[in-house]
Amino acid sequence: MNVVFLIAIPLLAAFISILIKKYASYLLVAVGLFNIAVLIFSKNGIVFIGGFDTTISANLLGITLLLDTYTRIALWVVNVLILVIAVLNIKTYRDYGSILLLAMAGLNGLLLTNDLFNLFVFLEISGIAAYLLSTSNKKPVSTFRYLLYGAIGSSLFLFGVVILYSMYGTLNMVVMIREISASNNYTEVILPFILMFIGLGVEAKLLPFNAWVKGVLGNSNVLSGPMIAGVYMAAMSFVLGRLVTNLFVFEGTLLTVVTLILVLGIVVGDLMAFSSSKVREILLFSSIAQSSIIILLFVNGLTIWAVYLIVANALSKTVMFLVINKATAETENDEVDSLKGLFVHNNIVGLTFTLAALSVMGLPLLVGFVIKLNYLTALAGAGQITLIAVILLASLIEGIYLVRLLVKLWYKGEKDLRVEYHFSFKMVFIAIALSLLVFGNYSTPLNELDNSIDTVSEVVNNG
Amino acid sequence: MIQYASIFLFVLGLYGLFINKNVIKLIVSLNVMEIGLFIFIISIGYVGDNAIAPIISNTQDLGLIYVDPLPQALVLTAIVIGVGTTALALAIAKSIYNTYQTFDLDEMEESA
Amino acid sequence: MRKLFGLAITFALGLVIILALNNTVNFPAFGEVNLSERISGAYLSEDNVEEVGSANLVTSIVIGFRTFDTLGEVTVLFISSLGVAFILGRKKQKRMNLNFKPNFMLRVGSNILLAIILVTSFYIILHGHLSPGGGFPGGAMIASSVLLLYLADDRFRSNIKGFKLLEGFAGSLFVIIGLLGLVFATAFFANYLPTGTIGNFLSAGIIPIIYVLIGLKVGSEIAGIIDNFLTEEERA
Repeated sequence: MNVVFLIAIPLLAAFISILIKKYASYLLVAVGLFNIAVLIFSKNGIVFIGGFDTTISANLLGITLLLDTYTRIALWVVNVLILVIAVLNIKTYRDYGSILLLAMAGLNGLLLTNDLFNLFVFLEISGIAAYLLSTSNKKPVSTFRYLLYGAIGSSLFLFGVVILYSMYGTLNMVVMIREISASNNYTEVILPFILMFIGLGVEAKLLPFNAWVKGVLGNSNVLSGPMIAGVYMAAMSFVLGRLVTNLFVFEGTLLTVVTLILVLGIVVGDLMAFSSSKVREILLFSSIAQSSIIILLFVNGLTIWAVYLIVANALSKTVMFLVINKATAETENDEVDSLKGLFVHNNIVGLTFTLAALSVMGLPLLVGFVIKLNYLTALAGAGQITLIAVILLASLIEGIYLVRLLVKLWYKGEKDLRVEYHFSFKMVFIAIALSLLVFGNYSTPLNELDNSIDTVSEVVNNG
Repeated sequence: MIQYASIFLFVLGLYGLFINKNVIKLIVSLNVMEIGLFIFIISIGYVGDNAIAPIISNTQDLGLIYVDPLPQALVLTAIVIGVGTTALALAIAKSIYNTYQTFDLDEMEESA
Repeated sequence: MRKLFGLAITFALGLVIILALNNTVNFPAFGEVNLSERISGAYLSEDNVEEVGSANLVTSIVIGFRTFDTLGEVTVLFISSLGVAFILGRKKQKRMNLNFKPNFMLRVGSNILLAIILVTSFYIILHGHLSPGGGFPGGAMIASSVLLLYLADDRFRSNIKGFKLLEGFAGSLFVIIGLLGLVFATAFFANYLPTGTIGNFLSAGIIPIIYVLIGLKVGSEIAGIIDNFLTEEERA
């Protein structure tokens, strides 16, 4: 099946959904299932929209979409997680059906498109959908901040794209990569690359462009928390990762600066999480640190482990935000102390939360450990001893605050805390925790894929 | 040379976003910044003094010199996206005012 | 302090951008662009112009080569109108009062003006493939006529349900036209209608149809946004 359905059908459904508002959430579930079917039956390759071209040549007229294993993994994560979150919230957040459909279309387009300006358009669609999702927090000021940062970020991204167009006369990513390597003058492209990196860095939550995160995720709920911390973060990391691996050329001083920004993000993120006393803030600062690690891996060319880390992180963060946001919806307070003893009456939920947290920390038996071991080995092979030291130090801090959090959540506080988790929530938690456990112990399938899942460079060379 | 004017507008808007604390002024600054960017986009498509707008009446006209039509198409898209973002920002500003009775971000944090 | 810091940062950024662009050989100076080095050179070639069949070459890019971008653009407007209604239009709404009482002349005059604006906007939408204009400016003009009615008549309230219906139908048809490209031709948004002679009113295949849909959609979306801003909660 044509992968353009992944974008066109959610859009069509979104346009129809405002005519039949009552059934919007059912439409969303149907479209989610349809998208998964498309993902199963579609073939890898390039899709030419408009039918103007048949091969990628220097005179590429239309817009192209590229589906390879890298994009396929990203699409699976995004579509399945949106479907799960939608099903869980089908009763509570009925009005958000159309917005989730648009978010789905925007994120799928963002991941599939091979055209830089088209990427900007989908960045805006998914961005506006995210602003609207964050209105469910009922904190208009933090939504406004999010919108401002997002708009500045995408303007900087557009600035970079336009400068690149004016220099190389094309908007297609593959043709652009060819032209840049043909001109072989990398100092010229520093400015557009840094503008685009900052622009996407805003959405990917990299320091110091992420001042919006605290307001949005610190007040998140069962819908916006997992959507923004899980789905959006995964999608944005995938997009930024693709650009970092293929388009951006980081060399010399620029590489030092970018590495410094990312290392700063890891250390500051974990330190902020360490010093915070609110559960949601701990989780969001931890995910800031994680996203910096992910981009750092992409910068160092460890595509496959970065991809696994994104997937594992998205799954764990979805579980953690769902558990905590469901609890805070009832206690109306997310201080660690007021959530003491949350898991005393919810053993299953507590167990899955613990597994997710331990996987983020990278303890053995869980998939986080396998991933961490592999990327640290690969970094050691590349001689990046400083980076390894930083990541290990950050993991130590992370371990301390997550264990501290877990202990408090397991031990009984002064008052008896009872939070009801619906059966469907428990099912999702168990499924995710099981997958974290299974892949942690049976990691052979993970080793089957390697860095070649990203085929952009292949397309660049062979057309 | 004229491109510097658009870059000046862009950084002027960015400066406004840095220093302002009023929600409406922030939205205005955002628009100034975006307009600087739009002028920049249009300016990169300018071919020369003898170039004309890319509209033809028949195929014989194609020998003439036209300005680059692609930046114009891009800027059309970018402007519409800017309108959408601004409308949403104003709606959020209105709901901020309904909640806090002020447009000033500092005053809001004090009352909250 | 904050002002100084902001000034320093933005000044530095502006300087860096200007210096970097100045020192880039590949970045063409203003007015010294060579289109044959860009993709636009191909957009201007005779074969490609005839393939799309639109006399306005900007339209041939917006609704021809890059229709997918335009679909995204319409979606951005759709989601922001949805969002404005979502943020502002929760409770039962009544329209805002004007500060003055509009007299008879103003009401009649605005109705005459309304007709002229609507006719002009439809002209602009229908000739989007021949002359400057098209669905977006035309749609904005339709919305401006709604704004005119709001400002000139203190009892006017537009039919928001009708606009929502129009918006949904126009948007769905836009996507369906694109999907039909997979049925009648090989690609999403392929131009499967005869393109005719360049410069004729009936030319350029699906472009005028798409532009009409975009015009209706943009008009109803912006009208919806206007309505949401000009109404307020009913005070008991």
